[in-house]
Amino acid sequence: MKIELIKISKFFPGVKALQEVTVTIAPGKVHAICGENGAGKSTLLNILGGNLQADEGKIFIDHNEVKFSSPRDAFAKGITIVHQHLSLIDSLSIAENIYGNSPPVDHYGFLRRRNMISNTTNLLEQLDLKKLKPGQLVQSLNAGEKQMVEIAKAVVNNPQVVFFDEPTASVSEKDSLIIFKIIKKLKEAGVAVVYISHRLNEIFYLADEVTVLKDGKTQGTFSADQVDEERLIQLMVGREIDQNKRGSSRHSLPLLEVKNINGPGFNDISFTVHRGEIFGLGGLIGAGRTEIVRAIFGASLITGGILKVNEVPIRFFHHPIDAIHKRIGYVPEDRKTQGVFEDKSVAENIFVTELSTHSVFNAQKQKKIAEEYCRSLKINTPSIYKKAGELSGGNQQKLLIARWLYTNVDVLIMDEPTNGIDVGARFEIYGIMRQFIEQGKCILLISSELNELLNVCDRIMVVKKGKCVQILDAKNTSEEQILSLAMQ
Amino acid sequence: MKKLLPDRTFSLFFTIIITVLVACLIFPSTFATFDNFSQVLLNVSIDTIVAVGMMLLLISGSFDLSVGSVAGLTGGIAAWLMYYHHYPIFISIAIALLISVVIGFINGYLIAYQRINPMIQTLAAMGIIRGFDIMVAGSGIPDLPYWFIAIGQSKLLHLQMPVWYMLIIVTLFTILFNKRAFFRRYYFIGGNEKAAELTGIQVKKMKVYAFILTGLLAGIAGILLTSRIGAAMSSFGKGMELRVITAVILGGASLSGGTGKIPGAFLGSLFMGLVANIMVIARISGYWQDIILGAILIAAVWIDLKVKRST
Repeated sequence: MKIELIKISKFFPGVKALQEVTVTIAPGKVHAICGENGAGKSTLLNILGGNLQADEGKIFIDHNEVKFSSPRDAFAKGITIVHQHLSLIDSLSIAENIYGNSPPVDHYGFLRRRNMISNTTNLLEQLDLKKLKPGQLVQSLNAGEKQMVEIAKAVVNNPQVVFFDEPTASVSEKDSLIIFKIIKKLKEAGVAVVYISHRLNEIFYLADEVTVLKDGKTQGTFSADQVDEERLIQLMVGREIDQNKRGSSRHSLPLLEVKNINGPGFNDISFTVHRGEIFGLGGLIGAGRTEIVRAIFGASLITGGILKVNEVPIRFFHHPIDAIHKRIGYVPEDRKTQGVFEDKSVAENIFVTELSTHSVFNAQKQKKIAEEYCRSLKINTPSIYKKAGELSGGNQQKLLIARWLYTNVDVLIMDEPTNGIDVGARFEIYGIMRQFIEQGKCILLISSELNELLNVCDRIMVVKKGKCVQILDAKNTSEEQILSLAMQ
Repeated sequence: MKKLLPDRTFSLFFTIIITVLVACLIFPSTFATFDNFSQVLLNVSIDTIVAVGMMLLLISGSFDLSVGSVAGLTGGIAAWLMYYHHYPIFISIAIALLISVVIGFINGYLIAYQRINPMIQTLAAMGIIRGFDIMVAGSGIPDLPYWFIAIGQSKLLHLQMPVWYMLIIVTLFTILFNKRAFFRRYYFIGGNEKAAELTGIQVKKMKVYAFILTGLLAGIAGILLTSRIGAAMSSFGKGMELRVITAVILGGASLSGGTGKIPGAFLGSLFMGLVANIMVIARISGYWQDIILGAILIAAVWIDLKVKRST
């Protein structure tokens, strides 16, 4: 089934979300759509999924004009979306989740559980997901496995077109490979696959065609072998980006030393981060990296070993406030649920640590300081009184960094700081990080993107199952080496 | 105006002014008198004191159903100590308030550190504490000492003392909430608990403090209630929790936490008091009172949602 979008436009009050977008999606091919956040990818997705209706333009399926007035409508025409935010119910089994809307029933409308289980087994086998069992509860799965169930749920009714909206956003490299395999299978079966992702290397790995969106307009559709990464970034951002190959500003003075620490999810971890250094933690998702940094920050327990900050030994921090007093800051992995106060203003989000370090709190008074941070970190907001929840992901992330810059920390722990952030903002964040360490401070960075680790860090510690495998010099290693150490 | 409209404290204040003006025009001789106004204030004073604590809890994203029982028990214990054991007034009150603080601590500890759901914890506490109250106060404890009764029944500048206590507590907490970091933290805890923890706020401790403070305010309300009536009865404070939560939500708090202002607690309870008062003056049956208040609550929340969506 071939879908043609001809000159689709969509207007929201004050914004032209899509302008005359023309795309052709062919069966048996993977069509990638990329663009910065706000470029119109989700709007396009929502129009094809029936959640939104186009204001102008036409949609053709196999040369017949169609109109989707609801998601149900699109679904009936064979279009399904694998959502980025998981729509699974944790307390139900895999089979129940997959057959959520329309489980097999008998003539009287009663559930045929045995059928459901055997159908699910078949489906999982077809998709090569044999390690998943139909009766398993979804809450026992990790993020990658959940994403696989999500995919199984989407393809159970043999759709003609499947949209993937950043399926690997919170998934480990290993699980990503499994997801790619499924996608290739779908493609071979003649399904048209539309793939949306920020990760350019995935796009080159999977896609046959790439459409670039920028500010709601298409920058063109290319065959994947016609373009390279640099060209794509240029098209998406609309300007050249300095791919920051940087010189090291690393001093020999240690700033954060970790010696043989143990805790829930990790043991015997030792490393030293020097002034002016970005120290990376690499490994698979679930390897225990987040647990390590949370424990260092005092957000969870350390049961043995010792920390040294600025050469002062400390057994462990009882609470994040103690770490903050020693000038350590933490930008958490999930900015929505753990970082940003969405209904508080931009200014309040910057000054929030004053609540615990000062006895008087007044975010209004320091208008100028907040505005200065917004300007220097390029936080794009009409006013410092705007609610932080209304900012885009990249701006929220910069806001979290501004919080710790204002708190004047020496050690900044960043957990997947560029997850789900568009290319432009990503390079801006790298720039901020570089400025930060040039002041003789240091950064502890967790990232699941190997090229990010390689480009940004001085040294990388590979973590596997809560243990340190090896500490590598970023200059003398490769993505393959890190991955093989993380997976061996 | 457009900016102020979504602010419930403002819109409720405006509504109260209009309600008062209209009632003054319709009932000039019965409503618009100093005696009537001071009566309304007296009627809402004790609920408002508890509402301040409840507002604090709702801002932090939680609530307490046991406040009515705590008020009942504190009054009962103070009376029991004075009547049966002849303890001095001051000591009796101090012991009773201490017990309300301990109850607040237990509620807070179990909710914050042991992660029992606040609804379940305080619902159970409501029943348990009421049981103790019935054991202590039984069929009522009369004949309380003169000076104890004076706490709630004397007047200053023609206003009953509970009105003054209420004004002092509301003003004090309004100032504290505007100026002190300690109280501002509750907005952030209610807004995003995990993020609050990671920015250095000791969320668990803060929650325990909130329950302790609410327990104490409920205890003070119980002492005042007993003093005003001049006797303790085991039914004191029944239904107070729902009245107070209604007032606080009318005053701009949300069950999901993070929003609300202390003056809102006063305005919410004042508005409820005014509606009740006007209905008495208008000779509308008391049965209608709950129906109308329920309808007002739904209308207020619904209008709020509409206004927020349109901006």
